[in-house]
Amino acid sequence: MNKNLRHSSRRTLLKILGTGAGAFALERLFPFSAHALQMPGPAKRLPSFTGPGANPYWNSVGQFATFPQKAPMIMLTDRPVQLETPRNYFLNAITPNDAFFVRWHLETIPNEVDLSTWRLRVEGNVNKPLTLSFPDLLRKFKAVTLAAVNQCSGNSRSRFEPRVVGGQWGNGAMGCARWTGVHFRELLDMVGVKSGAVQVQLQGLERGKGPKGMPSYEFKKSLDLKDPVLDEAILAYSMNGEPLPMLNGFPARLIVPGYFATYWVKSLEAIRLLDKPDENFWMNPSYRVPDTPRGDTTPADVAAKKVKMVPITRMPVRSFIVSPDGDTKIPAGLPLTIRGIAFSGYGRVTKVEFSDAPRGAWRTAQLGEDLGPYAFRTWQFQWTPERPGKYQLAVRATDEKGNVQPDEGVWNPGGYLWNKIERQEVTIGVAQ
Amino acid sequence: MKWLRTNRRKIWTLAIALAFVAVGAIYADLQIGYYTSTNLGSISQTAPVANQANGAYKIAAFPLYKTTLAPGPGRQDVESYCNTCHTPSYITMQPPLPAAKWKAEVDKMGKTYGAQIPAESQASILKYLDSHYTPETRKR
Repeated sequence: MNKNLRHSSRRTLLKILGTGAGAFALERLFPFSAHALQMPGPAKRLPSFTGPGANPYWNSVGQFATFPQKAPMIMLTDRPVQLETPRNYFLNAITPNDAFFVRWHLETIPNEVDLSTWRLRVEGNVNKPLTLSFPDLLRKFKAVTLAAVNQCSGNSRSRFEPRVVGGQWGNGAMGCARWTGVHFRELLDMVGVKSGAVQVQLQGLERGKGPKGMPSYEFKKSLDLKDPVLDEAILAYSMNGEPLPMLNGFPARLIVPGYFATYWVKSLEAIRLLDKPDENFWMNPSYRVPDTPRGDTTPADVAAKKVKMVPITRMPVRSFIVSPDGDTKIPAGLPLTIRGIAFSGYGRVTKVEFSDAPRGAWRTAQLGEDLGPYAFRTWQFQWTPERPGKYQLAVRATDEKGNVQPDEGVWNPGGYLWNKIERQEVTIGVAQ
Repeated sequence: MKWLRTNRRKIWTLAIALAFVAVGAIYADLQIGYYTSTNLGSISQTAPVANQANGAYKIAAFPLYKTTLAPGPGRQDVESYCNTCHTPSYITMQPPLPAAKWKAEVDKMGKTYGAQIPAESQASILKYLDSHYTPETRKR
């Protein structure tokens, strides 16, 4: 036998013995049956619920489900429909229509809208009430397009401790689209708002099975006429250059840039000018936050009725790590691109910082294309972990008003305004 | 016999080596081509709905998915009364809640949302939720 060959076969034998010895050592630590179950183990699903502690997963733990015009999404509830966008869709600044999150309050929502009969009524304290058809919206007004983030007030509610009742969203009750429609102010000017009007109320086709006069019967939201957000609001009939999906508010919905989604009323049918503030359930006590810094309070203060509550408005600054998501072990020395998004309801994101250790230095990440002050801003950071181990990646954003994401959570009874710094653990393995 | 005795060390070494190889081979087997009969479920593709070139913009009916509530007395009341406005997914989605929170929820459904639930059914719903959906009792 050739000497080299003999050498190599001996080496192979040593390798086999080595593998065997490794397995033997593992076997001593874990009885073989259990070992066989863990390596690689049967396919396992996430737990069916989280709690009483905080949900540790990026998304909520619901099952995937399909709905009309939608890709498989994470289902919180099926009737009324609440669907969460899976994490991977946030690699891009624009969220596709078929993966855009869905949240209805009541169960009777349209499967069909007949545009030959659908009309949008502008009524109440106006000089000249109007009914507008879909072609009226297209032809009588100048079309404007704006990229803006739509985020549920209760996005990330499952992070709260103690947990609060409501949709147990992970981080996916948000999305960013290019909305095309008409300036809301232009529409109000056309009807001539009377001097006594103080608020504008929005109502869509959404209805419930509850008795008339109850919040389970209809959903209505109002904004102050003097609120400057109305100067930027759009009545949108197009989303990313397509009709709005039925579940996202076909044929038209309100876009309120910077504000939480509760005001972005879907499938609009009435715009009503009110002469006194709207006190319906969905305005008060619903969708209210403590009148404190960050909307933070404690269960004790709420129980003692010490907390003044005000309507929720703008979205605090947030940022997310989208990739890596912790599901992939990464070889040491491999150059990685950490990717994610950031946004703020108070204006443009000016800085995103990345850190790879709990008390590590913050290093400035590279920002992606600027799609406007209210859009998702993508960011990335080139990171090459040289040493194997577990790393706590973190990201924080700063907006143009100087708001920086805090490292503390928030607590309020509605489960609103979560914007704590996001972390992602990754495992870096030996590569030689 | 004498051969066995004189070569005892060699035989033991060989036996141990073979055992190592066997364990190694099983270990290697688990690392590749390992399938499991556990399945995580699948999702059907949705069929497009037939639309005509008229004014009606239609989508298919919204699907309902099965929510399995814990078996036990009171489940029927939950399914019949709560189901008017929402499926039981609204219950299973929640984290485990203390009894006082469930009481507040059931009260809210009646007083705030106008659900018409007879007092004895309210009590049975509450008992059911406490028996299966609190931090102490929740299993699924």
